[in-house]
Amino acid sequence: MSLKSSIATAAGKSSYWFLHTFFKGGSSLPGKITKRLDPDILATLGRDYDVIVITGTNGKTLTTALTVQVLKEKYDNILTNPTGSNMEQGIITTFLHAPKSKGKRPLAVLEVDEANVIMVTKYIKPKAFVFTNIFRDQMDRYGEIYTTYNKILNGVALAPNATIIANGDAPIFHSKQLPNPIVYYGFDNQPDGDIKATPNTDGVLCPQCQHVLHYHFISYSNLGKYFCPNCGYERPELNFALNKITDLTPKSSKFEIDGEPIKIEIGGVYNIYNALAAYSVGRFMGVSPAQTRKAFEQGKSIFGRQEEINVDGKLVTLILVKNPVGLNQVIDMISTDKDPFTFIGLLNANYADGIDTSWIWDGDFERLPKMNIKQFITGGERYKDITYRLQVAGVDPSKHLVEPDLDKVVEMIPKAPTKKVYILSTYTAMLHVRKVFAAKGFIKGGMG
Amino acid sequence: MAYSLNVCHLYGDLMNTYGDLGNILVLKYLAAKMGVELTSEVVSLDQKFDPDKYDIIVFGGGQDFEQSIISKDIQSKKQALTNFIEDDGSVVAICGGYQLLGHYYIGANGEKLMGIGALDHYTDKQKDHRFIGNVVIENEETGEKYHGFENHQGITFLGKGERPLGKVLEGHGNNGQDKTEGAIYKNVYCTYFHGPILARNNDIAKHVLMNALKRKYPNADLEKQAELKVGATF
Repeated sequence: MSLKSSIATAAGKSSYWFLHTFFKGGSSLPGKITKRLDPDILATLGRDYDVIVITGTNGKTLTTALTVQVLKEKYDNILTNPTGSNMEQGIITTFLHAPKSKGKRPLAVLEVDEANVIMVTKYIKPKAFVFTNIFRDQMDRYGEIYTTYNKILNGVALAPNATIIANGDAPIFHSKQLPNPIVYYGFDNQPDGDIKATPNTDGVLCPQCQHVLHYHFISYSNLGKYFCPNCGYERPELNFALNKITDLTPKSSKFEIDGEPIKIEIGGVYNIYNALAAYSVGRFMGVSPAQTRKAFEQGKSIFGRQEEINVDGKLVTLILVKNPVGLNQVIDMISTDKDPFTFIGLLNANYADGIDTSWIWDGDFERLPKMNIKQFITGGERYKDITYRLQVAGVDPSKHLVEPDLDKVVEMIPKAPTKKVYILSTYTAMLHVRKVFAAKGFIKGGMG
Repeated sequence: MAYSLNVCHLYGDLMNTYGDLGNILVLKYLAAKMGVELTSEVVSLDQKFDPDKYDIIVFGGGQDFEQSIISKDIQSKKQALTNFIEDDGSVVAICGGYQLLGHYYIGANGEKLMGIGALDHYTDKQKDHRFIGNVVIENEETGEKYHGFENHQGITFLGKGERPLGKVLEGHGNNGQDKTEGAIYKNVYCTYFHGPILARNNDIAKHVLMNALKRKYPNADLEKQAELKVGATF
């Protein structure tokens, strides 16, 4: 390590210690300090690691956590970044407070924001990239799906030898010729038909001839076994495939990958993709299907995002929503609940939520009136938008309460007419609610 | 119901990037309150647009790639769309849809892509910059205020016969220079407001519905419909 790097590392480490000790924080500032002192610090810090970069719009965090869990079956020393620290400074901080590794070359499994892939590959040549999916998300930040994909590819171009492990069901990931070796995972659990995606689905034009794609089947959104009846463009051969979905509930999914029966303690078809991605990384790194099954069984706590919170006897599930694809998956998931429930929708429009709320109109709220929902509550800074969205969706106004103030929304929960309560919330509204829950002792502090 | 309106969701399977579908949901919702049955269907690539079949066109915003494909396809519908507009048909055109009704716009790689010139505006492109954020405008004819969110690299300049949808009070609008936002021509409403403009601004939705009803039922007494109180979400 050069003197400059040593000084920068020491400064970063001590600032981490200081922030961590006195403010219980410190995710990006130490990285910022270190980078200021030595702009190329990531090259020094990452030199001794085999790095796997996980990127894409939805599912980065859980895929990263699951991948770590799977790789632990074979590797002892794995570094990973905590939720939200997926930009350059957060990644530097992650390396800064890594324990000193002994023996074998350690692994780093990093969740990386799409536009920050290049900030990593400038200094580190990863062993593999994982592409989960690209959907519209926080469009006010990055623009459109092709813009986002190009940002990722700009980073990948600096690491042409890294293997790409991509979601084969996403048409966009087969659209460009790349020098990298590519491995595809996807769904193969339905018989072939011939259908089109619903009108408000993004990314349905054939990348080769620009006709509207057809599908043999769709798993969700624009993901599935696509083909172009005009030019013959089609989904690539899958290296790793989900063969069967056995059972879905809001809290668990049973399925088979390459014939291996697997259970995960979380609902939602999108989470099966996350598990499939982690499985594929595992296979790429030499972890067997049986080991992966065991890893998922033992790693139940990883699925903590959808924990059930007991609020004065009510069973509350708090779910983050941030874009229409994710939202529709959550709506799909709660529809599998067999018990009646209360639905709470909270909408804020701060930077971390996405300052444009247009996307709620692509959410399939029209399904809600058909579910066994006894009461609806809407709130948050943009309560007028989410309230009107539910009205237009046909929600019965006599069952619908409106409360802008999130503190008061929390107070309404114990009075809900059902035992089960689902809260769908944007990011800052979720932080707020969790803070209130923590203050009242329903959960331990933080994002969990 | 006594009245019915049919909506053409023009390229609805491709131009839908920002909750544009919300406009159709809101039109349906408000139409029902007026005692009007509103139906809609998508007209897309390689399909004919029949101006006699529709009362309203909703033409949303799309991504660069999709929009460049539509720039070619829409030329085959140019005459029919122009006839519909000249015949006082109601149109809501957003972002890319707005650009394509004008003479041309500049694509992602700097290439000039043709619109249909049914309206007299044209669209250039800012270099490496987008207008992103909340917008508030005032319709100078009615005094109504409209709220929205803009996110566009194109800068549009209005031509003959067009007046702005509103004067910019906050944000950037058409081009960041002349304080105009959107366009009105006959019964055509154009805007850079993202997606669900009608959801946040029910006043515009009501104008669109009333214009379409008056055109389709010129001798009907629409007083009850005109009295419908609508709100806004800002």
